[in-house]
Amino acid sequence: MTGDVAAPAVGAGGCHLFSGCGFPAPGLQNFNFKPLFTVGSFNFTKPELVAILCAVIVIGFFWLAFAKPKVIPGRLQNLGELGVVAVRDQILRPSLGSKGDKYLGLLVSLFFFIFLCNLMELIPVIQFPVMSRISFVVPMAATVYVLYLYLGFKNQGAWGYVSNMWPRGVPWPVYIILIPVELLRFFVIQPFTLGIRLFANMFAGHLLLSIFMVATWYLLGLSIGLLFAAGSAVMVLFVFLLELLIDVLQAFIFTTLTAVYIASSLEAQH
Amino acid sequence: MATVRTREQRRPGRGDGADDSEAANRALGLGIGWTVFSYLISGMAAYGGIGWLVGRAVHVSLLFPIGMVVGLAISVGWIIYRYGKLGDAVYGHGDKRGDDR
Repeated sequence: MTGDVAAPAVGAGGCHLFSGCGFPAPGLQNFNFKPLFTVGSFNFTKPELVAILCAVIVIGFFWLAFAKPKVIPGRLQNLGELGVVAVRDQILRPSLGSKGDKYLGLLVSLFFFIFLCNLMELIPVIQFPVMSRISFVVPMAATVYVLYLYLGFKNQGAWGYVSNMWPRGVPWPVYIILIPVELLRFFVIQPFTLGIRLFANMFAGHLLLSIFMVATWYLLGLSIGLLFAAGSAVMVLFVFLLELLIDVLQAFIFTTLTAVYIASSLEAQH
Repeated sequence: MATVRTREQRRPGRGDGADDSEAANRALGLGIGWTVFSYLISGMAAYGGIGWLVGRAVHVSLLFPIGMVVGLAISVGWIIYRYGKLGDAVYGHGDKRGDDR
């Protein structure tokens, strides 16, 4: 659960209640890792390895499922179809309609990549959600941001896109008041919240899970601490199940918002 | 000879009108929810920033928090004006005002 930097303190096994050492509280050190190897000034760390692993799994799975599609699908193709149809019917179609089917590949990739990266916090040995590192979230949010700006300018024209941003049917003094708010919301806050929400949820979730895992180990011993260790272990199970839900939910929200933003770029919504 | 059916044909209940409408409402609600949140943040940030700049120019540091409060008030007012009619539409009364992008 803990990162490699914190591992020696906790993993040494000597740090328990009444053993003289304090509670090794998880913190930012859980999100920093020693480099696995270094190329020049570039450090290759565990989160990068996990992200690549997730990408390979997503690409590999869909490649195997749809490389040779059959009219009567096999098990793998059936599972792949289920995933694609779920994203299409629950995320793409409600926002974009059938005309947005060309973005299905993007949304399916986004959803499953984020979901798998999040899920890695619950996989033994790996135990780290890639999206709890903001450096992985920002490029994805930036990609979506550039995409919907590009689509907006392409489909509505530069002036049309900017003018459609402004509210209709309000007195002109209100326009002047709202200009800074609308500009900041559209160009800064909207992409910011898209990325930060995913990052913050995964960061907090991993920290919470780490705290209860470390507390269970710390309180374990032949003392009153055993009782609290049992309580903490129950909390680990509860937070584990909660995180499972949040992993899916965050992938779903990120992908749905991407679809909603693309839809608003394809045509003006009043 | 076996008849080949598509996934929709194998699962006739899926993707019908009711499901589509529910999913569309969920997507709309999610979009509006985060837009409202963005308005609250951007109102405070925009007018807080303006207040900070003016306060720096005239050496009145109080203009920064005042700007943030004013920005928040503008955002809340605008959210009520713009999205209030969605609530009216749900409960079946009220006139149409503003827009509901």
